[in-house]
Amino acid sequence: MSESQIRALFAQIAAGEPGGSRVDAQAAYRRGRARLRRRRAWLAGGSLLAAAAVAALAVAVVPARPRPGPPATGPAAPRQFSPLVPYLSFGWLPSGNSLVAGGVRPEVAYLTAGRSNALGPSTWDLAVYAAGQCHLTGPARDLKCSTPALEGLTARITGRAPAVGGHRAFWAGPFLVWQYARGGWASLSLPLPYSSPKLSNAAKYEAARRDAVKIADHVRYGAATPPLVFPARLTRLPSQWRVSSVYYLPDAGVLRASRFALGTGNPDLGADGGLEYQTNLPYLMIDPASRKGYCYRSPNRKNSSERSTSETINGHRVVVTQQVLGTRPRQDLCAAHADGLALYISQFGAHPPINLTSLFRDHLRLLGTNPANWTRNPIG
Amino acid sequence: MWWPVVSGGRDAEYSEFVAARLSSLRRLAGVLCGDWQRADDLVQATLVTVYVRWGRVRAAAHPDAYARAVLVREWLRERRSGWGRRVRLGGPVAEAAAAGADPDVVLDLRAAVAALPPRQRATLVLRFYCDLTVEQAAQVLGCSPGTVKSQTARALETVRRTLGPPPAAGAGGQRAAAGEQPIYPGGPGRE
Repeated sequence: MSESQIRALFAQIAAGEPGGSRVDAQAAYRRGRARLRRRRAWLAGGSLLAAAAVAALAVAVVPARPRPGPPATGPAAPRQFSPLVPYLSFGWLPSGNSLVAGGVRPEVAYLTAGRSNALGPSTWDLAVYAAGQCHLTGPARDLKCSTPALEGLTARITGRAPAVGGHRAFWAGPFLVWQYARGGWASLSLPLPYSSPKLSNAAKYEAARRDAVKIADHVRYGAATPPLVFPARLTRLPSQWRVSSVYYLPDAGVLRASRFALGTGNPDLGADGGLEYQTNLPYLMIDPASRKGYCYRSPNRKNSSERSTSETINGHRVVVTQQVLGTRPRQDLCAAHADGLALYISQFGAHPPINLTSLFRDHLRLLGTNPANWTRNPIG
Repeated sequence: MWWPVVSGGRDAEYSEFVAARLSSLRRLAGVLCGDWQRADDLVQATLVTVYVRWGRVRAAAHPDAYARAVLVREWLRERRSGWGRRVRLGGPVAEAAAAGADPDVVLDLRAAVAALPPRQRATLVLRFYCDLTVEQAAQVLGCSPGTVKSQTARALETVRRTLGPPPAAGAGGQRAAAGEQPIYPGGPGRE
């Protein structure tokens, strides 16, 4: 790999620029003007005038129709999601689209869908947030979500959208956001295939918006099928260890957990800002092995902290790598072919209760490639 | 594409600037994001900021460079925020390789670059796509030239390590036969 290859890659990406663009220069111009007005109002007249300008802007950017639905009533949104139970499924998808992947963490459940074409897969996302994670600001200008893992998430509302499931909904740039249950909000990025010709066509953009509303209207909550199953089981772990997040793929009629993290439920913003990992606990990736898959082994250079060793554990060849990234020790264990599966486990932290070699040798049972043998309960 | 209706002065200049630079900004955004949908969103946000700061853009010695810096910083800001990270939860989806290239090699390289931390990726893009000098890249990123050098070195090393040793690896490296794929994390939460 050389600089010239990087240059070539960037040039190829740039050359692959699709013909259509969703960039709306007029909208940028309008928003820029509005922002300037607000700034000038603030400078000129203090907070009261600024507040008036903000209120005027809110009215200006929100079209009079369609009217949003009422705030959600009825059942409350879940306080948190179980990573072992996919909470979401699609009831309707635009033609040619299918489920690509999904995931669950306590504060958010999400699905990725899309279609493949000559330029590769084009995907879009649906995310549903647990109760209390997101709040609409007073004049409906922003949807703000604040959790340890999603700090600062803000969707700037650009207009009203048709009600979804009878509840209020808004456009937030290329997202549709709506209140799916009392105290809970959802977002959906527009299902726009970027490789389609003439995406700048306003009619196609509007069609994507209509599709988004229809997708949102048909989302099923709390009853995901098929089941989420794991191709491995972990045993004899500390009692407080749980699966804290899962990323899954549709596979052979089930949802196969491809990556999952363990946690103790304690807030942990250390290793990766709380997004997936908890310090001193493992993150596992398990997928069907490929014939040509192999594990990278560090050359153990003198000037590098990275050290790899090859071992045979329980009859499987594994490569264990230790390194220090910044000030954070990290351990990785890789098995390219283990009972038909490829396995990669990472763990940050200086004091893991169980190191990865021990985890693989004494606590992990791989369940092979037959989905009938996979489990819904990966711990225990 | 809808263009603003403008009567002259500031707005006319802005409109002219955007019309002339939109395509190059979009390509830069595409290289940074690796995804044209998000690239369009990034350009959209950049154009708003450029309008608000039009006085400074126009007064800059190189308005193009100023707009480019706005775009790169906006991307880094998005990557730091939860919104940018959330939409990447599913992990990067590789796109098709360019015609004429070895598809496996291109896809591996693309995935490796996509998995880089945002500032390292931005550094590579500024150095090897925009062809900026170390000093110019440092100005865009708001850091020292030394940091640009170290970020570049780290990024290249990370990509090399992710791709694994070449077929004729040196001492200590594991030999990889043609077509073999390293088992290596490239999933969510890696940035």
